[in-house]
Amino acid sequence: MAEKRLRIALAGNTNVGKSVIFNYLTGLHQHIGNWPGKTVEKAEGTLHFKGYTIDIIDLPGIYSLSTYSIEEQISREYITVEKPDVVINVVDASVLERNLYFTLQLMGLNVPLVLALNQVDMAKKKGIEIDVEKLEKLLGIPVVPTVAIKGIGIFKLLERAVEIAEKRETPKMVVKFGKEVEDGIAKLVKMLEGVHCRYPPRYVAIRLLEGDEELEKEIERLNPEVVATAKKISKELEELHGHSCSTVIMAERYEIAGRIAREVQKLSSSTKPRLEERLHNLTTHKIAGYVIMILSLLAIFYSIFTAGGYLSEFLNELFYITEPLFYELFGTGAIGNLMWSVMEGVIAGITIALPYIVPFYIVLYFLEDSGYLSRIAFLMGNIMHKIGLHGKAIIPLILGYGCNVPACLGCRIMETERERLLAVFVTTLVPCAARTVIILGLVGKYLGIEYALALYIFNLAIIFALGRLAFKVLPGEPTALIMEMHDYRWPHLKTVLKQTWFRLLEFIKIAFPLIILGSFTIKLIEVFGLLEPIALALSPVTVTWLGLPLITGIALIFGVLRKELTLIMLATLFGTTNFAEVPGFGPIQMIVFTIVTMFYIPCISTIAALIKEIGWKKALIITIFEILFAITIGGIAYRILIQIFALGH
Amino acid sequence: MGKRTIPLTALKAGETATVVSIDAVFCKGCGKRWGFEKRLMDMGLTPGTKVTVVKSAPFHGPVEILVRGSRLALGRGIADRILVEVED
Repeated sequence: MAEKRLRIALAGNTNVGKSVIFNYLTGLHQHIGNWPGKTVEKAEGTLHFKGYTIDIIDLPGIYSLSTYSIEEQISREYITVEKPDVVINVVDASVLERNLYFTLQLMGLNVPLVLALNQVDMAKKKGIEIDVEKLEKLLGIPVVPTVAIKGIGIFKLLERAVEIAEKRETPKMVVKFGKEVEDGIAKLVKMLEGVHCRYPPRYVAIRLLEGDEELEKEIERLNPEVVATAKKISKELEELHGHSCSTVIMAERYEIAGRIAREVQKLSSSTKPRLEERLHNLTTHKIAGYVIMILSLLAIFYSIFTAGGYLSEFLNELFYITEPLFYELFGTGAIGNLMWSVMEGVIAGITIALPYIVPFYIVLYFLEDSGYLSRIAFLMGNIMHKIGLHGKAIIPLILGYGCNVPACLGCRIMETERERLLAVFVTTLVPCAARTVIILGLVGKYLGIEYALALYIFNLAIIFALGRLAFKVLPGEPTALIMEMHDYRWPHLKTVLKQTWFRLLEFIKIAFPLIILGSFTIKLIEVFGLLEPIALALSPVTVTWLGLPLITGIALIFGVLRKELTLIMLATLFGTTNFAEVPGFGPIQMIVFTIVTMFYIPCISTIAALIKEIGWKKALIITIFEILFAITIGGIAYRILIQIFALGH
Repeated sequence: MGKRTIPLTALKAGETATVVSIDAVFCKGCGKRWGFEKRLMDMGLTPGTKVTVVKSAPFHGPVEILVRGSRLALGRGIADRILVEVED
C-alpha cells in the first residue's frame, strides 16, 4: 500500500502564533533551513495523523501577497507552484480586520483553505467576541477557534484541514469588488481564456490591475495584449476614482474585510485599561521607557555573558581533559599534533560561540515573541536610523560587544534583506569580548586606559561612518519603519526553546566544517614550517605599510580562528608576556596592531554566521572588504601616530 | 465646518483623522513611487480610513498610531508623507 502523504502550509501575518502552531504540530520532527537561493528561513516538519504522513511548511509571516518583499514572493510561489493540499491561514482574532485582508487574498489563489482563528482568549480579554459560525458562513471556509499556546483547538484544526485536503475543496466565495473594478476584471478574465498561466485567471486580472510587475513580465510573454489592456483599464479607473487603481483595489478589499469583521465581532469596551495596555504605555514612555530599556539591555547583556562565561569555562575544562587521551591514541608525532589541533578548533567552536548563542537565542525569541523588541525599536527608531539601521538592530549591535557570532545570527529579526545586510555588516565591526581582550590587554595595559577608551570611540566613529556609507551605496529602498506593535503576551516557552535548538543545529552545520578546516589548515602550515615564509611574504603589508614587527603576520593569521589568539600568539612568538620590553614593538605598534585586529576580519565563526544569514557571496565580500579596510586604516594610523608621537617628544 | 488636509505628523497625541492619500512620489515625471506606499496600505492605511495618533517617540522618533484595530509604529519620514483630513 502506498504511503498516504499530505502537504499543509501555514500562512498568515507575523506574530499571530503561526510558529507556535507549527511547533505544536511538528514537535521535534522539524528542519530549519533556507529557501533555495534565498536567505529567508524555511521551516519544515512532519507529523503522523489518521494514517497520513503530513509534511508541514511554515511560510514566512507576511501582511499581503503583493510580492513587495521576498517573503511575499516566496509564499505566493510556494502556494501556486508547489500547490500544498491545504493552506492553514492563521489569524489573530484580536486584529481580525487586517488579518482577513490577507485571507481574502489567499482565497483568490484557489487553494483549499482553513482558517485558524488564533488567540481567541486574548481577543476576549480585549472585549472582542467572534461569531465563528457566521464567519464560516461569510467566508465559505472552515473556521477553527484556537489558543495555540495552550494547544486548544489544534486537534480540531488538523482534522478540518485533512478533511478539506481530502475533498480538495477550494473556497467557493468570490471576493467582489465595486462595479467599475469588476467590469475591468471581467474584461481581462475573458482575454485570459486560453492563456496558460499557473495562477487563476481572476487572480491574474486583479493583480495586473494592481500593477504587479512580476506578473506583468510573465503575462507579457504569453499575451502582451492583456497587459496593455490592463494598463488601459487601470488608467481609466484612476481617472474615475482620483486614486491609483492599486489603491482603489486595496481600499475596496479592506472595506470587504472590515465589513466581515464588523458583522462577526461583538465589541464590549472594558472600563479599566488592561495590564497589557499599561505595560505598553510604561515601556514606550518618553522617560520611563528609556530607563526600562537601558536596564533591560544591561540585564540581558550581563546575564548572557555570565551564563555563557560559566558554560564556556566548564566546557573548556571538560574538553581539555581529553588532551592526554588524544595523544595516547594518535601518538605525540605530527599526526597526533594535527588531530589535536583539529580537536582544538572544535573545542574553540563549542566553547566560544555556542555558550553565548544558546542564551542569546532564547533571550532574542523571548523579546520578539513577547512584543518588547518592537517597543525597543520604537524608542531607538530615530537614533538607529541615523546609521541607516532599523530600530531593532540595537539588540544585535549591543550583543556584538560580547560576541559577534550570536549578534550576526540575531540580525535575522530585520525585516528586509537590505536591512539585514546593513545590520550584519555593522555588527561585525563591533569589538567583541575577544577583541576587548586585545584592546585592554595591549593598549590598556601598556599605554593606559585612556588610550583604550580612545580606541573604542574611534571604533564607534568608524561604525557610524561605514554604516552611513553602506546605507548610501547599497541598492534598494532605504529603511522605512513600518512596524506592528502587537499586544504584550507571555511567550510560549516550548516554542522559544525549540526555535533556539533548531537554529543552533543549523549554525553548527555551517560553522563546524569551517572551523575544523581552518584549524587544520593553519596547523598544516605550522607543521610544514610555512609560518615564517608566509610572514615574510606578508612583510610588505605588515612591516613596510603597517610598521609592525615581522612575526605579527603569524599572529594575525592565527587570529582568524579566534581573535584573542592574536595576543596569545604574540606572547608565544615574542617569548614573553611583557610586551613593553619587546624591541620594535612600541606604543605606536601596539595601537596599530590593535586597530588592525579590531577590524581586519570577522573570525571564522562569525564568517560562518555571516554565511548563514546573508549567503557566502556577500559574506566573502564583507570579509575581503574588512581585510582591506583594516590594512588601509592601520597604515594611515601608523603614519599619523608617528607625527603625533614625534610632536610629543 | 471646514476641512483641512495636513500631514499625519501634524496631529496632536490622541487626535483622530481620516487618511486622504500617501505622497510616495519617487521623482516627478517618471511615475515611480516608493514601495512603502503599498506596505502602508497593506497594513490598513487606505484612503478613507480613520487613524489615531497615540504618541511620538522622543528625539524626533517614530509615531505610534492606531489603525483598524492594530497598533503601528511609523518612521517620522513616512508619517510625514501620509496626508490626513481633519475637521475644524
